[in-house]
Amino acid sequence: MTRIHDVGGMEGFGPVDPTEDGRAFHADWEARVFALNTALIRRQAYTLDEFRDAIEHLAPERYLASSYYERWLEALEGLAVKKGLVAPGDLEEEGGDAPGPGPRGSGEGRGR
Amino acid sequence: MSVPTRSRGQREDGHPDSRLARRQRRLEELLEAAGVVTGAELDAILDRYLATAKPANGARVVARAWVDEGFRHRLLADGNAAVAELGFSMGGGIQPQLLRVVENTPRLHNVVVCTLCSCYPLALLGPSPSWYRSEAYRSRVVRRPREVLEEFGLHLPGHVEVRVWDASAETRYMVVPRRPAGTEGMAEDALAGLVTRRGLIGTAAV
Amino acid sequence: MKDEGGATGRALEPPRSGPGAEGSPPGERFRPGETVVVKALDPPHHTRAPRYVRGHRGVVVEVHGVHPRPDDVVTGAHPPAMEPVYAVRFSAADLWGEGDHSVTVNLWEAYLEPLPLQGTGP
Repeated sequence: MTRIHDVGGMEGFGPVDPTEDGRAFHADWEARVFALNTALIRRQAYTLDEFRDAIEHLAPERYLASSYYERWLEALEGLAVKKGLVAPGDLEEEGGDAPGPGPRGSGEGRGR
Repeated sequence: MSVPTRSRGQREDGHPDSRLARRQRRLEELLEAAGVVTGAELDAILDRYLATAKPANGARVVARAWVDEGFRHRLLADGNAAVAELGFSMGGGIQPQLLRVVENTPRLHNVVVCTLCSCYPLALLGPSPSWYRSEAYRSRVVRRPREVLEEFGLHLPGHVEVRVWDASAETRYMVVPRRPAGTEGMAEDALAGLVTRRGLIGTAAV
Repeated sequence: MKDEGGATGRALEPPRSGPGAEGSPPGERFRPGETVVVKALDPPHHTRAPRYVRGHRGVVVEVHGVHPRPDDVVTGAHPPAMEPVYAVRFSAADLWGEGDHSVTVNLWEAYLEPLPLQGTGP
């Protein structure tokens, strides 16, 4: 049951792109995801190992198609629900409009 | 009624960042409403992280090791204690970390990776570059390190042994590059200016 | 990754032993220089034995302190086993049948077994 994160020695990912721009985060939400994770682990809402486990349980196609902090966000949402901190129905639907009464976005164009 | 909804959807849903930004915002709101985190706390975490974690820290450590033989020995023997002499700490994160500093020599080149995720001494190297987190780097540097280093423009002669360190959460590795030739007269601060983050990871000579 | 701290935070408990530690404190099953074999593990949860070293032999080069076993942490074992973590060096030739480099991996004691005794052979 080895998962997709365990890539050491795998072939096929192509050459390394060594480009870097020196920025820590490429959007504000990435920084907030980073801070949320730090705060939740410090608060012992979950452990670093549980966080890694949550990322590693993403489906392989999802893992590979997601950016670094997108994986973190997925893991955070899952852990927040699992630990009873938020109700699953309260989370923003992926690709949809803000939750609330009334019709929701159809989720068209939900890219992975 | 459906028209504004759709146009909003086209504008926002078509852009992955705004979708992700909405999800993040919603999660933060819910956790704040539940009393689990506060916005001010998150601001403080980010401020401190961005202000303190930078590759200039690792560069300072290396420059000191280049000019101070006693410090170099202490650094290689016990990284945590040695960097504390310069005011740095591997604590303060989410769990204690062992700092293992490894040194390049004319016959040995070290390079660091985390194949399972992206472990790395953030406090000394600053936020990790995208390539360090990439599947391409993580998968190949353990298998074909010489090829990967060539992709960074670093050619290692065949007689140089290559040692790859696959980092984990509990131990973080940092490389002390070889001091460049012709820098004998340089002051410690100027030497620190020569050291790059890639050098500290092992994907550049310095 | 994921140590998210600044450089100047208050120091936490230092690791109990470091790479410079002489010999083996009590409780460590393996010593630097000893050849070990990574068990053929394949758990359904987070583990720190990467696939590419499973079933392979390597040499213990350093002891990196005592840490809770991540497998226990994620499966909710209370308390998690506290185990020595070793830096184990593998030769590329042993891992992949080619290459002149080595790879050093941090492995918990439970992932390792001693090298089986060699038969005397014909």
